[in-house]
Amino acid sequence: MNSTIELLAPRYDIAWYPWAVQYFFMIALSYATLWLAAPALVFGKQKWLPTARLALLACLATTLVAPVALLADLHQPLRFWHFYAYANSHSWMSVGSLILPLYVVGVIVLAWLAWRPALQANRQAPGIAGFIARWLSLGDSPTPRALLVLVGLCTLALSTGIMLYTGAEVAIVKARPLWNTVWLPPMFVATGFIAAAGLILVLNPVTGERSTVVSGQMLKVMLGACLVAGLVAGSWFLDGINADVGSVAAAMQSVRGSAEWRSTALWGGLTGLALFGAVLYLLSRPAPRRPALYAWTWVLGLVALHVGWMFRWVVLMDVQTVARHSAGFHHYGIPAGSSGILGIVGTFGLWLAAILLIDLFVPWRQARQGGSAADLSPVTPAPAHPAAQSAAENSEGTPSHG
Amino acid sequence: MDPIRRSLLGQLARLSAGAALVPLSSVANAGINQQPPRREGDPTKRYGMLIDLRQCIGCQACTVSCHIENAAPLGSFRTTVAQYEVEHQETGEVATFMLPRLCNHCENPPCVPVCPVEATFQRQDGIVVVDSDRCVGCAYCVNACPYDARFINERTQTADKCTFCAHRLEAGLLPACVESCVGGARIIGDMRDPESQISRMIAEHGDALMVLQPEKNTMPQVFYLGMDERFVTRPQAEPVALDVLDPHGKEMGYEFHH
Ligand code: SF4
Ligand code: SF4
Ligand code: SF4
Repeated sequence: MNSTIELLAPRYDIAWYPWAVQYFFMIALSYATLWLAAPALVFGKQKWLPTARLALLACLATTLVAPVALLADLHQPLRFWHFYAYANSHSWMSVGSLILPLYVVGVIVLAWLAWRPALQANRQAPGIAGFIARWLSLGDSPTPRALLVLVGLCTLALSTGIMLYTGAEVAIVKARPLWNTVWLPPMFVATGFIAAAGLILVLNPVTGERSTVVSGQMLKVMLGACLVAGLVAGSWFLDGINADVGSVAAAMQSVRGSAEWRSTALWGGLTGLALFGAVLYLLSRPAPRRPALYAWTWVLGLVALHVGWMFRWVVLMDVQTVARHSAGFHHYGIPAGSSGILGIVGTFGLWLAAILLIDLFVPWRQARQGGSAADLSPVTPAPAHPAAQSAAENSEGTPSHG
Repeated sequence: MDPIRRSLLGQLARLSAGAALVPLSSVANAGINQQPPRREGDPTKRYGMLIDLRQCIGCQACTVSCHIENAAPLGSFRTTVAQYEVEHQETGEVATFMLPRLCNHCENPPCVPVCPVEATFQRQDGIVVVDSDRCVGCAYCVNACPYDARFINERTQTADKCTFCAHRLEAGLLPACVESCVGGARIIGDMRDPESQISRMIAEHGDALMVLQPEKNTMPQVFYLGMDERFVTRPQAEPVALDVLDPHGKEMGYEFHH
């Protein structure tokens, strides 16, 4: 073989910015936390209720922020209405643009239904909390469980549409062999569940819930998700060396040709293994020792979030730096502005703001599977019934002669 | 890897939950993601280009004239001429290889179906264009083109690419790159007209013509004459250290690390 040097090649910038990573991360957290909220909220498993409450909080916040990140990744964000004016059923992105708003509405309605009884119980609370509760709860009719289950099932169905489209959208791109594999969509979902379980492990102590049951359940989910992710990664690799699968060949090529890719692959593999090992260790401890150990699971939660985010960063950003028709790798440095660091920090900031606002005004800790205010123990000194009574007494006690 | 190990690993692969997912991929690729119907343009024509590499001297006249004609922003190109230095490992003989590249106006263009708003579309004469008033700048098409033929124009914030200079063709002119080519290496024409120069050259050279990355099944319609097989796919080349600065001293080319 002759040796060849490429003398002249223009700079090919990356086309999708870190906003895309933020969207893929947020929307994955969103659908995965929805599924973690589902056992209690939709299928009535009471043991899962504490998890469901945290999951619903996380789910609504990520669902609200994800579309913002998506919009920001467009170079012409104000033209977003073109998605609906000129929908193209041939494009997964277009299919996604139809599913996404329905899904967002589904999550909002589901959260509203689950929080409504608690909001109703808060109607008489003093100050702005009471005002918001009165305003948000829309009357004090009971919330039918069947309605919550129905909305929940529809939203779960829509969420599978989100899983499918976000994965397929990237996996069909033949131009980037590293993306072009059936194993990418399931890997997105598996790492999404790892990150979502991690998020709840972090929220558990941060919100002061500190539930051992929640930690235990999330560790189990994480173990399952890690296993699936390992299986998917393994199958992808075996598939690749067995048949001529472009994705694996391209991955090998990249890893062989670049020290950066080598260290990325090593880091990803080791972190995944370490996470899996730690989860396995914690789950196999004898029951009496668990509470003390589980108090530290938020650290694992952070690692899991890191795994979920890094996977998306490597897949969406790093893969774009692999040259397609010229030699070598394109250099990409994260810019400081809104298309780079500022965008990443901004999305997380927005997400934090959403969580704080919900925490401030919505009694999310009382989320339940429908019913009415009377079904739950009062959270404020002025719950609905006594308040109504005292109002009645007042009107009696203030006659004209008073 | 030896065949025995291969088949063992193959069994393992089949054992892993995988097989069930494979049919899903055909749904993702086929059902959705088909080519939408073509629109606009003259259905009696099919434009294509033939690049006679034997005539190319790598002067970049096409790069420059295209850049000016189509007002591309600094640093973004609708066409470029890649240049390689090839050294024969035994004799040490050095040769230069030139590869002009532009949009291939593929017969099965992967950039078209992905566009969520059908801003990118293929005309009935085969030319792939972008409606920049409709484009939302999602850059999906930029990622979908295997040839790096597209970019987001930083001025219009929409997708930009070679249009075969459709505006010039309609006025009866040749594309800027064809017009300016010193050696007459670029030949454009209607491949449905058997008398056109491109049709005659395709008939004459037939099998000697090559296209880029044929394995991607995009069916490119820019044909290369005098092509070296090793450059049809991403060449096994080493990038050279480059540092191209704009008039303000800002780096606009690459700095490769060896
Ligand atoms: S070369 Fe790229 S931009 Fe041009 S038609 Fe083919 S896929 Fe589309
Ligand atoms: S960047 Fe524009 S032309 Fe390209 S896929 Fe997006 S909307 Fe279509
Ligand atoms: S045909 Fe026109 S747009 Fe295309 S490369 Fe030539 S000059 Fe540029």
